[in-house]
Order: sequence, then C-alpha cells, then structure tokens
Amino acid sequence: VNVSSLLKGPRTLFLRLTLIFFAGLVAAQYLTFYATMAERNDVQTSFMISNIQREISTAVALLDRVPAAERPDWLPRLVRRNYGFILGPGVSGEAPDQKLSAEIGAAIEQSIGQRYPVVVNAVPGPTEHLQAHLKLSDGAPLTIDIRPVAKMPLSSWLPLVLGVQLVLLAACSWFAVSIATRPLNQLAHAAETLGPDMTATRLRESGPTEVARAAKAFNAMQDRIGMYMKERIQILAAISHDLQTPITRMRIRTDLLDDETERARFQQDLREMESLVREGVAYGRTLHGAAEVPRRIDPDALLESLVGDYEDAGAKVSLSGSIGTPIVTRPVALRRILANLLDNAIKFSGAGELTTDVSPDMRIAISVLDRGPGIPADQLEAVFQPFFRLDASGERSAGNGLGLAIARQLALAMNATLELKNRAGGGLEARLVLEKPA
Amino acid sequence: MEKVEHVLIVDDDRDIRELIATYLQKNGARVSKASGGREMWAALASEVPDIIVLDITMPGENGLALCRELRAGQWRTIPILMLTALSDETDRVVGLEVGADDYLVKPFAVRELLARIRAILRRARMVPAGFERAETPQFLLFGEWKLDTVGRHLIDCEGTMVALSGAEYRLLRVFVDHPQRVLTRDQLLNLTQGRQTEPFDRSIDLLVSRLRQRLKDGAKDPRYIKTLRNEGYVFSAAVTPQEGNQ
Repeated sequence: VNVSSLLKGPRTLFLRLTLIFFAGLVAAQYLTFYATMAERNDVQTSFMISNIQREISTAVALLDRVPAAERPDWLPRLVRRNYGFILGPGVSGEAPDQKLSAEIGAAIEQSIGQRYPVVVNAVPGPTEHLQAHLKLSDGAPLTIDIRPVAKMPLSSWLPLVLGVQLVLLAACSWFAVSIATRPLNQLAHAAETLGPDMTATRLRESGPTEVARAAKAFNAMQDRIGMYMKERIQILAAISHDLQTPITRMRIRTDLLDDETERARFQQDLREMESLVREGVAYGRTLHGAAEVPRRIDPDALLESLVGDYEDAGAKVSLSGSIGTPIVTRPVALRRILANLLDNAIKFSGAGELTTDVSPDMRIAISVLDRGPGIPADQLEAVFQPFFRLDASGERSAGNGLGLAIARQLALAMNATLELKNRAGGGLEARLVLEKPA
Repeated sequence: MEKVEHVLIVDDDRDIRELIATYLQKNGARVSKASGGREMWAALASEVPDIIVLDITMPGENGLALCRELRAGQWRTIPILMLTALSDETDRVVGLEVGADDYLVKPFAVRELLARIRAILRRARMVPAGFERAETPQFLLFGEWKLDTVGRHLIDCEGTMVALSGAEYRLLRVFVDHPQRVLTRDQLLNLTQGRQTEPFDRSIDLLVSRLRQRLKDGAKDPRYIKTLRNEGYVFSAAVTPQEGNQ
C-alpha cells in the first residue's frame, strides 16, 4: 500500500466531503453526549449528597433516641443503596482523598457535626469506601459505612440509539454530498462529449440556484463555441467558394496560353491554390464530423480499390496484408484519411506503402509507410495542427498542412487513433488504429 | 475526325463561358452559349445541341433544377455534363440523381472538359437509335450483387459494402449497361476511357480480373463476366433496376 497516497486521503471530492461531513457530525455528536453525561453526573452527585445529608441526620437522631438494646433491630431498616450503619468503632484510617468521598464527609459533618463530633476516614480497598465515626449521646460508638456510587449505570438501549444516529448521520452526509457533486459529474461529461463534431449534450437548467446558473453558463458557452465553429466553417466555405470561379477562369486562360513554360508555371501555381481551396472546404466539412453513417464494409476491397485508383493515376502505391473480415466503419472518412496519408507519403518520398495488421483481440491497424525524410521527433504531434509547417530547413515545409489535420479530425470523429512515428531505417509511419468492434 | 460536336454552354460567368467556348472552338467544336435558364431554353428552341454543359451554381434557376426540367421534357435525350463549384459528395450524388451523365468539379482543365464531352458523346452514340433514355436508378441488381450508382460501390447479399476503384466502377457500369452483349476490348477501352486526361495504361484484361476478384467471380467458370476467346467479354447476368430508399 502506498503510504503517501493514504496520507493524502481519498482522491474523489465525493469521498473527501463525505468523510469531512461525517467526521464533523460524529465529533459534534460525541461532544453533546459527553456534556449530557457530565451534567447528569453532577446532578446525580448533588442529589445523592443532599439525600445522604437529610437521611443520615434523621437516622442518627433516631438511633440516638432508641434504647441501646433495640438499636441492632433498627439497623436493617436504615440501610440504603450506598450506605449503612455499624454499631461499633469501625475501621480507622486516613482522611478521604477522593473528591466525592471528601464531599460526602463534609456534607455529613455539616449536617450532624454540631451535635456529634464526626471523624471521617477512607477505607482502603478496590472501590471507593469511607466511614464516618461518631459517638451517640449515651457514648455508644456509631459508624456510618458509605460506598458512594457516582454513576448510575447506562441503559442498555442507549448504544443502539447511538448506533442508529450514526447510521443516520452517515446516510445524510452521503446524500448531501452526492447532491452537491452530481452536477460536477454531469458538467464533466457534457464537456467531454463536446467533441470535434460539436454535438454536445445540453445540461438541464434546473435544480438548486448555483447548479442551474452553472448549467446555464455552460450551455451558453457551448452555444458560443458552436457559433464560432460555424462561423469559421462559413468563412472557409465562402472564401473557397468565391476563389473557385477566378481560379477556374485562370485555369482556362492558361490552357489557352501559347508559351509552354509560362503555361506550366501558371498551372503549377493554380494547382497549389486549388488544392488549398479544396482542402480548406474539406477541413471545414470534417468539423461537421459524424454526418456519415457507419456501415458494414469489406475493408480489403476498400484498400485494394484505393491502391487501384493510385496505380491508375500513375502513382507508386503498394498494399501488403489483408484484414479478411467485414468491419463496421465510415467508409468515406476512412478512404479520405488513407488518401490524405498516401498523398503525403507520395509528396515526400514518391511512393507509399499500405500495410494492415490485425491483433489477436481484433484491433485493426492500417499503416501508411514511406521512405521519405521523416519528421523530427518533437514535431510528430504538432504536424497535425492545421496549416502547420516545419521550420524552413525541414524537408516537409512544402505543401499546405491541412491533409494531416483533416485525417486527424476524421479519425477522432470515428473513434480511431492516428499517430505518426519515424521508421527504423528512415521514413515515416502513419498508423491508424480503428475502434475495437463491440 | 468525328462529326463536329455542337456544345451548349450554360454558365452565368461570362468569362468562363467565353473561355470555354474559345477553347472548344479551337478544338473544332461548334458552341452555343447561354447565361441562364431563359437563354438555354431559347437556344434549345432554335437548334438542338449534341451535349449541354451546365453549371450548377447559378443565380435564379440553378443547374440542378434545369437538369431536372431537361430530363422531364422533350430534351431528355440530350447528354448533360454538370459543372459543380463545390467538391462534395452530396453535390455529386444530387448531380447524378437528377440525370446528368457526368460532372466536373471547378476548377478544371479545359482539356479534361473536352475529353469528358467526347467520352459522353461516344457513349451516347452506342445507345441504339430510338432508345428512350431513362434516369439512372440508384441501384442495379444482378445475381447476388447490388450496384450503387450513386455511391459507386457494390453491396453484397449481406449488406456489406464492397468498394470499387474508379476504373473498376466504370468498367462494371459498361458491362451492366450492356448485359448479354459481346464487348470487344477496343469497345471497352473506348467506353471506359475519357474520365482521365492520363492515357489509360492498364490493360482491359487486368481490369477485368480485378473486377472479377471484387465480384468473387472465378476466372475459370465465371458467373458474371465471361471471356469469349478472340472476341472480348460478355456480362451474362440479368440486370434489374431498383430505385433508392428501398
């Protein structure tokens, strides 16, 4: 067991609050109980002492009047729960050192000391025990034997009541804390589901004031984010739409140019603008994400036909391995991801290689490999950002960094993971791991 | 050289209209121009073109609506090539659903446009005279397969989607559109070519074997695409059309 983690206490707010509430309530309960008991003892003691005072003076007066021969007969009638009388000198000893005994001794002296000189002493023994010695008017010795009992025994049902109270306290603190922490969990869940597709769950704007306020604020924030996203997409779509017509005109004009080298240069520039516009539109659309419905497909046919399209366009793309079983996925998104990765591979190394890998627990991985320059290790994650460019010295500074951003967005939307790593022997591997079938 | 094509260009952008016209005329085509629906109907009334090049995004009545109207009326046999501004699946789907023969995404190379126009006209000429052209249904059924002409893929009897490459789809479409007919390698090459500006360097035989693989059809005793020695191929299954949403 990790000691430091134990010292830090439980991790969840729920457990922490429950523990604090419960500990506080138990402490308060204990204090109340303690105070009640102390009060009860005080009352009991003073009650007992006043009883002793009153009864002892009566009993002594009675014994004093009764002829000496009749006194033994009276003794049993004068015995009480915590004292009795002995006709004799009793046991002598030290003055009582215990507080209660001293109080009782003082009380006896106070009540009968004026008429009978009284000597009080403690009797050694396992329990508190004292005797008061006096001489009656006829000179006969009388000993009052006192065994003070301070506390009345507790009732047997008391522990049960205390137990029930503890359970009630625990239940109440659990309930209160769960009321307080539930909205937090809902908030966290709503924030988590606010994915790239912007189909967030709305929080219910009801409940306690603070919770309702937080929910309202969260929903408003979601709306704002959604609005910004939509605006971004609209701007992208508008720009690319408006660019398409002038680019088309220029494309056709260049086709009509007679100067071949000029024509080739113009067309190269236009192709770059064109692909930027198309990728811009595509990137904006991936943010709508989940639009495509997952369906059962033959993944091998998808890979083979993709490779076929590249081969027909004259690109060097190969495929090794097969998956061999139908899967449920979003075919258009999957195709687009792989095409973007292959385009990159071809751009940086002139060729691309598709490989498949099915793990024993049916996790399907599709990799796109190239033998290009690769990417510095500390930039492997950064290249997924839209329009990211490696520094000028980097080989991959060419191109418009949207292909990988689109691929990552689509992978996210279909619950797949997409990662890049440099290959042993040079080149890059882009590995797409599909969501495990349910 | 084939007979001179008469192309009707319908686009609201004057520059694009004129530029396309110039290029096509330089390459020996006859061109009429229209800036929108009204001018298109007027042009059709005066002379019937061999093919209409129709822009989708136009103010007023857009290309999709015009295409639908063309397909519903007396001009339904004229091939249509749609020009779309947005490269999106939905546009493509809609473009083909309304009965266009092909589409081209802006910006395009005019050489590509010319190649497509010629390919469409070649295909149109293969259709026997008097043949009533119908809108292509979304699904074509044959044997245990269903060909989705919108998504351009196959669906097997269990509902699994089997993807096709562009060339595989075009070849299968030619077969499915001409069932029980002997098609020579030259004819197949002619009919499938034209979508790309690149020369079609893959031999028909290789493409047929790839297509057979998709159809899970053996080369020895094929159920769908039969080889006729020294003649070509025959698509031997019966094809049934089926509309979408079924």
